[in-house]
Parts: sequence; structure tokens; C-alpha cells
Amino acid sequence: MTGAAHAPALEARGLRRRLGITDAVAGLDLTVRPGELYGLVGPDGAGKTTALRLLVGLLVPDAGEARVDGVSVMSGGPALREALGYMPQQFSLYGDLSVAENMRFFADLFGLAPAIFRQREAELMQLTRLDRFRDRRASALSGGMYKKLALSCALLHRPRVLVLDEPTNGVDPVSRRELWDLLYQLVDEGLAVLLATPYMDEAARCHRVGLMYAGKLLAEDTPAALVKGFDDVTWLVHLSDAADPGARDAAEARLRERPEVRALSPQGGGLRVVVDRAGDAEFRRYFAAADAHWRLSPVAPDFEDVFLRLVTHAS
Amino acid sequence: MSPFLRRTRAMALKEFRHMARDPQVVLLALAMPLVLILVFGYGVSFDVEHVPLAVVDQDRTAESRAFARAFSAAGTFDVVATPDDPRAVEPLFRQSLARAALIIPEGFTRARARGEAATAQMLVDGSDNATATIALGYGDAIGLTLAQAELPRGLSAPLEARVRTMFNPSLRSAVFIVPGLIVLVLVIVSVMLTALTVAREYEQGSMEQLFSTPVGRLEIILGKLAPYFLLGLVQVLLVLVVGVTLFDVPLRGSVGLIFLAASIFLLGELTYGLVISIITRSQMVAAQIAAISTFLPALILSDFIFPIDNMPPPLRFVSSLLPPRYLVHALRSIMLRGNGLETIVSDLLPMAGFFAVMLLIATRRFRRTVA
Repeated sequence: MTGAAHAPALEARGLRRRLGITDAVAGLDLTVRPGELYGLVGPDGAGKTTALRLLVGLLVPDAGEARVDGVSVMSGGPALREALGYMPQQFSLYGDLSVAENMRFFADLFGLAPAIFRQREAELMQLTRLDRFRDRRASALSGGMYKKLALSCALLHRPRVLVLDEPTNGVDPVSRRELWDLLYQLVDEGLAVLLATPYMDEAARCHRVGLMYAGKLLAEDTPAALVKGFDDVTWLVHLSDAADPGARDAAEARLRERPEVRALSPQGGGLRVVVDRAGDAEFRRYFAAADAHWRLSPVAPDFEDVFLRLVTHAS
Repeated sequence: MSPFLRRTRAMALKEFRHMARDPQVVLLALAMPLVLILVFGYGVSFDVEHVPLAVVDQDRTAESRAFARAFSAAGTFDVVATPDDPRAVEPLFRQSLARAALIIPEGFTRARARGEAATAQMLVDGSDNATATIALGYGDAIGLTLAQAELPRGLSAPLEARVRTMFNPSLRSAVFIVPGLIVLVLVIVSVMLTALTVAREYEQGSMEQLFSTPVGRLEIILGKLAPYFLLGLVQVLLVLVVGVTLFDVPLRGSVGLIFLAASIFLLGELTYGLVISIITRSQMVAAQIAAISTFLPALILSDFIFPIDNMPPPLRFVSSLLPPRYLVHALRSIMLRGNGLETIVSDLLPMAGFFAVMLLIATRRFRRTVA
């Protein structure tokens, strides 16, 4: 690899932006390299969308700077737009235009020559299997098909950096897998991809993730390294009376009161509990005496445990 | 094709597709001018005809009867009652059976024969102010004409009034209304549509996608103007065709000049619609602001119905800042008087100035950010 390939495709330094009374983004540093798939993970309201908008120049930061391919996003010039492909979270194409018309419109805005447009359109249509729906209006597409169209429109001009805001939101599992296959293919070709997602399973598929909460990155690493560095203990609490929602709420309330419990989330008919390693013995003692309806079994920590633990710690 | 033109054309084509695929927009744009011209053409009339007149002839001579006949002959007045007693007039007014009364007193003919001033009384129902004023005017004119006809040869009349109405001899309202109506139609439909277009992109989220492309602000603005500009010209054509065929509105000047004036006006008003849209970013708010801020000046401050010369100076000043009065003036000048470019330049320049100012505001206030 050349030195240029290691240079960041997307870079943020000390980005801050206040929206109303909240610090939507409160000092964000991140780097995405060419050929890297970076996931910005966080619950709703964590500031992911604001962060992405700052990174593509759709919001002006109160402080800090973002660069795409070395170009400041606030310059807003054609070089930036050429380098960047962006897919917003919400429906952002024109519902009354057909699939082909939407693509043609964005190709014209990016100034693609007709021959190049036809070639890329054919490639993307084949890749996304949208060709059957060429003449269908965008508003009549399924969630998955729509996202593929939006992705195609963002890719038409061959950007070097692709920024996607919750690309699989409202997409069925099959289309979701197809979208991910597509993303891997693009990243293999050297594209730098930054995506925001609230889904932990998706985050785990990224090369690197940044865990975002309350406008800040709580941690950043590869998913494997984050799980590896996880030092707490994860238990699954089975509730024999789980059919009664009141019983589960009561169990949750009681467990939350335990000082050694770091995070807690429902899983199946029970509760997944992250316990501080130092307090694990105490937790087991408490548990043995607690409730005849409860049963404890150990589970391997996963990425979601890491995230929940960090969020609980931060809040 | 330069990238600028290509992007502007792409924007225009997209807007045209939005417009063409929304049947309500097309219906509104084409039906509104028709409805307005029919309502204004047939419904709004400043012509006063067939005013019900009661004649109280207390003189009962051939001359007094001839005098009364002169009133009914013009078509302005229809004699509906001939009571003997003047006191019968008021009940007729109260029941709306008559709106005017002519009372010829006893001795009317004798006084005229003696060369003295002969006085007949004209009563009008002031509860309908417009009719009353016009009826009085007609009444005066009839009386004066008769008086002059009676003057012996060689003598000059003490007062000579010769009213000759030029350009619209029969003072038909449609002739007067159609040029003003063009202004009204253009502001009601076109400004409303452009006021919605930018706000809609913000509300639907497509502005976010648009701003992530190299398209420039001026390209977005011009692209958005183009289809509504063409639609506006179609509306002008529609009003003109209906005005000429249905209401015999004269077209004495150049049709090309009419479209030139309408084009400059449209560009300014449409860009004003975009400014509203860019600033409010909300379709609901933009629609309301557009409706109020364009309809009222077009109706009231344009000389369309209410003469600007009769307005207090502050209103006259406001009207001088807004384009409607200039287009009304230019259109009347071209259509009714057959004037050429040299006489309407003074109307075209302020409208072009308004467009330039609006375009400047639109491009300055249009930010490539979403918050």
C-alpha cells in the first residue's frame, strides 16, 4: 500500500455543535481510512445524525473541523462534493420520480457524461437488482429497494468517501444482508465508508466502531478488541414467571438496585445482566437467596454488553 | 453544455415533472384563471344599468313627459313606477322597488318657457353607494344634455361639459378588469406554487440530498423558477384568450409586449415566492405568507380596482415599491391604448429592479445547510 492509501479519507477533529439546549456533538474526533468500514454506533439521540451532517458539511460546527480527502468540508466546493457520497436517514429522493429518473437527475447534478452515466447506471442497477423497477416511482418501492436506490444515487459519481445514516432502517432482513454484501464489495474496492447505526449486530460487522453517547465517543476500536477488553461478567437471568410482565419489571427493578449490576437488558424470556467482576461473588450470593423463580446461567459477553456497560457508566 | 446549464436544466426538468405529475397543481393553475375571469368578468361590474326609477311627474305636460323619457331611453334607468305623490317614493326605496326617483315639480315647463332655471329633483338610494354615485352622474349628464339641446342658437352655454370617454367608450368593466386580472391570477397561483417548492424539499428531506451534490444555489433557484414561469405564461395566454373571445377585450398593442411585461413581472414575483420558501422552510407558513403578501397588493395596491391616486401618501408609497401596479399600468397601456415599448419602459424597469433585489435576497439567504 502506498502512503496515500493510509492518509485518512475522512477526518474529524474536535467537532462540536449545539442544537437548541443540547450539545448534540460535544467534541468528536474520528478517522476513516480508504477501504475501511467504520460504524458509528449509539442509541437514538446520541448525536449520530448531527455528527454525520457535520462531517458532510450540511451543518456548520460551533468548533472543530472535518476534512474529506484533505478538503475542509466547510469549503463546500465541487472537490468536496465529488469526493463525497451521502445517504441521509430519511426518505430523501423524489417519490414522484421513477427509479431511472432519480438516478438520471443525480447524474446530471454530478455532471456525468451520458455514456458514463449509462454504464454506471447499468452496473448499479445490476448490482442492486433494481433494473426490474426502473420505471417504478420511488415512493412505490419497498424500504429495502428504496435504500438501494438511494445508495445507487450516492454512488453514481464514484465518491471516495461514502457516508450512510442508518442505511438499513426499515429494511427487511434479506435486503439488509444484500445491502451489507454490497457495502463489503465497495469497501474492498477501496471506498471509505462511515455509517451510523443503532443496531449492535450491524456495528459488529464493521471494521472499526465508535460508540457514541450524548455527543461523545465513549470508545473506539475493532469490535473484537472492544469485546476482548471487556472485563465484566455477563449473566443471563431466566425467569420462570416471565409470562407475567409485572414479574419481569419487578425483577428488573430489584436487580437494578444491586450496586454490582452495571447494565441490564431484556433478552428472550429473561434478563441479560452485566456485573462488575469485583462484585460477581456478591451478586451470586445475593442471587442464590433471592427468588425461587430465578435461575442464572453464564453467557459469553458480546458487543452489546460492551456498549451497554459503557453507556451505563457514562450516564 | 456547461455544467451550470446542465444542472439548471436537470433542476427545471425535475420541477416540471413534480408539477406535471400533481394533477391538483395543474388543475389549480389552469382552472383558477378561468374561474377568476368568469367571476370578475360577469360578476364584478362597475357598469350601472337598469336602475329602477320612479318618476313623479307633477307637471304633467308634454315637455315634462319628454324629460322623463330621456331618462329611460338611455338604458341606465328603467321606469318602474309613476306615483303622483312624492311621498310614495320613500316606501319604494324601502322595499328596494326603486333605487332612484325623478321628481318633476308643477310649473317645470312654465319656468323653462320663461327662460328661468327649471329644477327637477333626483333622489337616489344612498344605501347602495356605488350605484347611487354612478346613477347621479348619469342623471346629471342626461339633464345637462337636455339643457344644452334647448339653448337657442348663437348663445353659448354657461357651462360646457363634453365628456368623451376614450379607449373604453362604453366604459365596460371587463375591458378595465382583464389587465388587472392577469396580475391577480399570476400572483395567486404562481407565487403560491414557488413558495411551496423550496419548503417542500426541506420538509421532505430531499434538500439534504440535494446539498450533498455540486448543485449551486443559483442553479436550484433558476431551475425551480423555469417551470412555474412557463406555467405563468400559459395562464396569461388563457386569460387573454378568454378576455378577448368572451368579453371582447381589445388587444390594441403588441401581444409580444404583453408577454414581455408579464415575464418580467413573473420573474420578480416567482423569486419572491422562493424567498418566502427559503426563509420559512415550512410549506404551511410559506403558503399563508404568500397568499396574504401577494394577494392584497395585487388586489388593492395595483390600481386594479381602487385608484392609487385617491390613496393616502403612505399607501401610494407602498404601492410604488411593489410590482403589481406597474404591470396593471403596462397592460392597460398596451392592451387598451395600443402603446409601444417606449411608454411602458417606466413600468418595466421597476419590475426588473424588484426581480434583481429578490434574486439577490434568495441567493444570499439560501444556505447549503439543514439547520
